[in-house]
Amino acid sequence: MPKLDRVIRFRLLACALPLLLSGCVEATQPAELFQLSPESTQNRSMQTRMFETSNDKELLSASAASLQDLGFQIEESVREVGFLRATKERSAREYGQYIGRFFVFLLSLGHGLMPVDLHQKIAAALVTRPLNEAGTRQEVRIMFYRVIWKGDGQSDRTYIPPGEQMMEMIRDPEIYQQFFAKLSKAVFLEPHTI
Amino acid sequence: MLYGCTAPQPRQELFTPTDAQMKIRSAQSRTFEVKDRAVAMRGVIAALQDLGFIIERANEPLGLVTAARFAEPNYYDVLGVTVTVRPQDDDKTMIRANAIYNNKPIEDPKVYQNFFASLERSLFITKN
Repeated sequence: MPKLDRVIRFRLLACALPLLLSGCVEATQPAELFQLSPESTQNRSMQTRMFETSNDKELLSASAASLQDLGFQIEESVREVGFLRATKERSAREYGQYIGRFFVFLLSLGHGLMPVDLHQKIAAALVTRPLNEAGTRQEVRIMFYRVIWKGDGQSDRTYIPPGEQMMEMIRDPEIYQQFFAKLSKAVFLEPHTI
Repeated sequence: MLYGCTAPQPRQELFTPTDAQMKIRSAQSRTFEVKDRAVAMRGVIAALQDLGFIIERANEPLGLVTAARFAEPNYYDVLGVTVTVRPQDDDKTMIRANAIYNNKPIEDPKVYQNFFASLERSLFITKN
């Protein structure tokens, strides 16, 4: 009997451990979030390109066209401050996750069913701004992020309903390079990294 | 029993500003030596982007900028900020920021100090 007790306690601990660990992700304090992080310069150079042009209107409209080429819908635009916001919705299904889900199901003897990513919304916020007084040099900065909705799952006997949300900033340099390659073709200008 | 019979009178001071409110307001506002509203707004936007904020809305005639970011690495917490830019008579611009963390207003003056420090740097770069 005591042995069985210990087994149960061990199982409880094993269940609680991932919960405990996830609780350990320290919440960042608001004051820190208003300070420049060490990565901010790196992010900035990845997200920014400089163009030798004085036509800010053309640059903004070319930016909108490039986003459209990439399948985005423009949601908001403010010409006076050179601002664009665009989104696109796509499937977020990945084979890897389904394979993972299958093995978790198998190894947990049918007790665990991992939720997989189903749907995602990719959003972009773009801002152009003049870099000098005469406005002959313009900077374009774009930031991508995505929201992912998960499907349903199961943990032991508790059913995990679908619709759990996850958000993340997109920090893959390739995505930014792709966008700026499109944009520079659209404005017939050579982009300069800062 | 007797207390229950008198209806509570609406308090006169309900809408009068308290000391705490005045303090927060002064922490949230700062005046900058910038003449042009558009220049100030672009500076605000650039500062917010440097801090990793996603610009959600901007309104040039009213001088409004709304932005948000996740409290990375924790994506459940969201930090939102609304900034208003108002030109003043003496060639200066008053900038006010209201920040909310998970829909609760932030009252810590340090948060606003950090924001204005970043903004100052950004406005300085924009000017040159």
